[in-house]
Parts: sequence; C-alpha cells; structure tokens
Amino acid sequence: MSYAVSIEKMDKVLKELKKKYRVYAPIRFEKRGRYSDTDLIRYAEIDSVKDVVYNEKSDFSPKEVIHPITQTLFHFTEYEYRESQIDDKEILIFAHPCDINGIKRLDTIFLENGNNEDVYYKRLRDKVKFVLMECQEDWDTCFCISMGSNQTDDYSLAIKFGEDQLSVEVKDNEFEGFFASEEEIDFTYKFVTANQEEVNLPKIDDKEMLKKVYDLKMWEDYNARCKDCGACTSACVTCSCFTTSDVIYSENGRVGERRRVWASCQHEDFTEMAGGHSFRNTPADRMRFRTLHKVYDYKERFGEEHMCVGCGRCTDRCNQLISFSKTINKLTEEVNRLQKEVN
Amino acid sequence: MNHDINIGKLQRNCFRQSKVPGEFMLQMRVPGAVIDAKHLSLVQHVAETWGNGKFHIGTRQTFSLPGIKYENIDAVNEYIKSYIEAIEVELCDVEMDDTDKGYPTIGARNTTACIGNQHCIKGNFDTTSLARKLEKLIFPSNYHIKMSVAGCPNDCSKAHFTDFGIIGIAKMEYDYGRCIGCGKCIDACQGHATRVLSKSQGKIIKDTCCCAGCGECATVCPTGAWTRNATKFYRVIIGGRAGKQYPRMGKMFLNWVTEDVIMGIIGNWQDFSAEILEHKPIYLHGGHLIDRAGYDRFKEMILEGVELNPESEVAERIYWAETEYRANIHVKPVNK
Ligand code: SF4
Ligand code: SF4
Ligand code: SF4
Repeated sequence: MSYAVSIEKMDKVLKELKKKYRVYAPIRFEKRGRYSDTDLIRYAEIDSVKDVVYNEKSDFSPKEVIHPITQTLFHFTEYEYRESQIDDKEILIFAHPCDINGIKRLDTIFLENGNNEDVYYKRLRDKVKFVLMECQEDWDTCFCISMGSNQTDDYSLAIKFGEDQLSVEVKDNEFEGFFASEEEIDFTYKFVTANQEEVNLPKIDDKEMLKKVYDLKMWEDYNARCKDCGACTSACVTCSCFTTSDVIYSENGRVGERRRVWASCQHEDFTEMAGGHSFRNTPADRMRFRTLHKVYDYKERFGEEHMCVGCGRCTDRCNQLISFSKTINKLTEEVNRLQKEVN
Repeated sequence: MNHDINIGKLQRNCFRQSKVPGEFMLQMRVPGAVIDAKHLSLVQHVAETWGNGKFHIGTRQTFSLPGIKYENIDAVNEYIKSYIEAIEVELCDVEMDDTDKGYPTIGARNTTACIGNQHCIKGNFDTTSLARKLEKLIFPSNYHIKMSVAGCPNDCSKAHFTDFGIIGIAKMEYDYGRCIGCGKCIDACQGHATRVLSKSQGKIIKDTCCCAGCGECATVCPTGAWTRNATKFYRVIIGGRAGKQYPRMGKMFLNWVTEDVIMGIIGNWQDFSAEILEHKPIYLHGGHLIDRAGYDRFKEMILEGVELNPESEVAERIYWAETEYRANIHVKPVNK
C-alpha cells in the first residue's frame, strides 16, 4: 500500500520508530568536506526526515553502519576476555538500490566466505531493514545499470521525497500501522532505467588471458596518477577489508581490546608481511588488483554477480580524478584487443 | 611642453608620476584581486583611449595603466566613475561622498589576495570577501597601510612581506572512530607542514603546539576523520616590508583569531597611525610605524576594545630579523 505523507507526519512516525530502531540516513555535515567550505555527506542517525540528503550522492556509503570503521571485538585482561556489547535496538537504513545490493555483496563476503559466518558482522546485519530512497537523478558517475544493481526488493519502505510531502510505499507489514490514517495513493517505486555512464565489462575467459591482463601497459599509467590514498576503497560500499590488532591500554599494559579497523588494498602496506616483503609494490599493481577484484575475481569465486555495484563513489572521491568506470572500459577495450589477437 | 603639475596631488588621486614628464600611470584598485571579467573592457578602453595601450598587473594587484597624459586625467576620472562605484561602493560598501573625480586617496593601498577557496584546493577561506570587508575599514583614508590576504599558510600572496598579512587557518578536528590509521595525514603533515602528527596504537596523536592550520591532513584523509571546524580562523603577520635599507619578513602577531578580531584591529589602525604620526597622514611604512611606536604600545593600541576569542594567541614580544643593507640601523643620534 502507498501513502502521501507530510514531512510533519513522517517526523512523528520517525519519532515512534526511534523507540525501536536506530535510524540511519545520509546527512549533511556542513563545511566538513575535503576542501574548505565544502560539505560532507555521510551516514548518521537522523532526528528528522528533513535531514535526509536524497538529492545528492553521499560521499560515504551505508556500509559503515554494519561494518564500522573501528569496531571493538572484545576486551581482555590478563586472564579473561569479554565480547564487546551492542545495544538491543534494531537498525533502519535509508539507501539507494545500489547500496542495498552492495550490502548483499558484503553479506557474501562476511557470511558465506569459507563457510564461516563473521559474528561481529552478523550481529549488526541481522538487525537491519532498509528504507529504499528513490533515485531522482542519474548522477553522472553512476553505472548501476551496467552492474545490474539498479533494482532490489529488499526493502521495508520505499520513499520518494518531495519538497513538503513524501510518497511512501509500505512493503513490510510491520510498518502499515504507522500510515493507516494517511491518504492512499497510487505510488510505485521507480528504479533507474538508464545511466549516462555505460560500462562494458571485460570478458576474461581463461588463465592465459588473465596473465595477459596482468601485463597490460595500461596499469602503468596509474603509477604516476594514483596516490595510494585509499579514498576510493573507503567510499566503496563493497570494500570490506580490515586489519585486526590489539590495543593495549597505557595505564595497564595487560589490559586492552582487540579491534578491527578498515584497511585499503590501495595502501602501500596492505600486502606487507612479517619481514617487510610485499607482493603488490606499485600503485599500478594495486590499481590492477582492485579493478580485477571488483569486476573479475569476486564473480569467479562466488558466481552470480560482480562485486562492484556501480555506485560510482570511488570516482567521486578520487581527488586525482581517476574514474573507475573509465578504467573498467579501458580494460575491456584492451581485453577485446587481446581477444582479437588470439583469434 | 611646459609643466606645472602638483604631482603629490595627482599621486593621491592614484596617478603615478612617470619618466616622461606630463605622463602618469593610473592605478585602479581591485580589493581582494577578484572581480567580474566584464570590467576588463573598461580597463581596455581607458588604456587604449588615454593610455599607451598597455596595462601592468600591478604588484599590488591593481590595474595599472601607464602613459596617461596630464590633460586627459579629468576625462579618465570621469570615465572610471562607474568602475569605482561598482567596485568600491557596491562590492565593498565603502562610503564615498564623491566618485566623480577619480580615487580620493592613495593612502591605504590595494589589499592583495591569493584566489583562496573560491578556487584553490588548499585555500581555507574566501580571501576576496575578507579583503572587501577590510576595504570598507581602510578606504578612503589618507593613512597608509598595506595588507595582504592569504588563503592558507602556503602564503602565496606574501602576507609575510606586508604591514598586515592575514592568513586563513583551519582548526582541525579528529574523529577517532573514523580513523583507519593509514598514516596519510602524517605523511602530508611531514611533507607540507609542521610534522605534528604521529601514530600510536593504530590511531593518530597530535602535538597541538605547532599545527599550522593548513588543512593538508583533511585533504588527504580517505575517511574524513580529519575535518575543519566550520569557524574560520586567522593568523596575523605584521611588519613585513621590502625596501632599500632593511627589508624584513613579518612576524606572527596573532594566531587563531576570528574575523571579528581582524575587523577590530584593522578598525583601530587609523587611530593608531594618527596617534603615532601626530595626526599627519604622511607616508610611513606600516612596519616603521610599528617600530616607531614600539611593539608594546602598538599591541596595546591595536587591541584596544578588541575582544579576543578564547582560542587566540598573541605574541608577547617580537624579534625582528632585518636584512641590513645599512649597518647599525637602530642606532640613532640622541637628539633626532
Ligand atoms: S582515490 Fe584515487 S588516488 Fe586515491 S587510492 Fe584511489 S585511485 Fe588512487
Ligand atoms: S593542519 Fe596541522 S596537523 Fe594538519 S597537516 Fe597542517 S600542520 Fe599538520
Ligand atoms: S589520514 Fe585519516 S584515516 Fe589515515 S591515519 Fe590520518 S586521520 Fe587516520
């Protein structure tokens, strides 16, 4: 059922919902952007639907709600340890289709990789329900259509934002009651059906081709261009890497916590092992790794779909103006060329 | 041609004497160094109609139009009325009784600025807007002052070499939870700034003594763990100068002050100058004026009635470092 809901009414609903849920949405942090007098848009808990930034893409993805940047796993003393606690509240996340699909990719990584469920991920993920936000615009870095991630049915509510009114589709019965007295309307969520940016995915059929792809000259370009900053992977909804380490409280060297913190495959020390040996030594190596991971490896391993969902945030956040979609297209051109040479 | 020209009067009208007797160079103010490009056609017209067809981008970021003949000065002044009104009155809200006769004074020089955060990825604030606000405080006044506004501590506008150099700085705030300990900020601070960051247990610690407030850490941070506090802060460098005798780089007078403080001190400049110069607006370099008053007296007078924000830092004393092209510069005969 769908309803026309005023902002005021929605805020009342939100107030009710907040008794049971932590409600996260992309919100604006004024003047907190990378450059002076620019804003930062990222996920945080909201107090009003007016806070939700629905007509600009957020700089960071909703993954940080479920896969926190810094997450304490357990606390330890000399003789015992205690698992970190989370509260009983459920979680409601406002998200676009690409992000909901992105979180599905995270599910695969955290819950299905090697038949081993990651409990710290799972305990948050199990609480999550989504509020689907309509994409009112196809932003010029989006390529969800090419990645097949422009649609989803994993949502409880779907919302189209208007100036002072919202159109709300209620899919999950749990939420019907909140809107019962509202005016029923004929609203169905519209998924984006075309992107300005089209991406052609590379067809890498065998190990031989993969080997050739490894040696492509195009990667070398990135030695001069990519600064290894990791902004792309931090913004990416599907990047899931982290480093686990023990933090010792300085007041008592035997007490501390084990925590995990995001890591980036674009950083120089990502593949560093004891003894200082590292197997991806240049920005070109790391760029190749990330690209292939997003549009080759993951699918090879898990089958159905590519890891990248085409949200385009990596492109938006790269201050060296490296476009990921253009990089994939370049790769595909090269693969096609190589293919022709073989034939 | 037989000349009888009061060159002092013309200079005050912003026409500078040239090598060719009877020819002058007009200096048109551009406070904060950015204006709409449409004004260029007026500049071109003046240069081609009355000047020698050229213009100099003045070292103080004026449009400087050489080769204007004395007899054409009235016509030029009449023609630039619209420019003066557009820039001084409309953009800078300067109070002027009369815009018919060209610039009323050259006292306070054009305030220079780098492009600031209107364009620059390093800039911490809008330099032009601040320069325009300052223009209202210093113009038209016969008391001399030179100011320069820099968007960040890179100081591309050379705030270190002027009477009052105002540099935009940002208070950085650190979000412990968002930091992934990658150390990019450490490298940036090391490479570009004051090396105040280091790592401890996977997170960042900062020696707050000497953060330059440049914002490099925020620019490189991949997760937005470092962000700028939205309040704009400034560093004020005083007493820098060039010159034949003893040029010197300015020194830090104030650090982490807000715009209100800047407005307060520059607002006090005229009274300070009047007092030290015994109410005669003669040309004396700002640095020399501060020297004449002595730093302590300068500080007291310039901060008179100014409410310093709690973050402010004020120089207790200043040790100038001059390049002495003439030795014993500070040793003067007793009765002079
Ligand atoms: S954001 Fe750009 S410069 Fe930074 S690591 Fe990614 S590709 Fe390289
Ligand atoms: S703002 Fe401070 S901490 Fe950050 S790079 Fe500049 S000097 Fe270093
Ligand atoms: S650049 Fe950002 S994420 Fe990296 S160590 Fe510094 S504050 Fe932490």
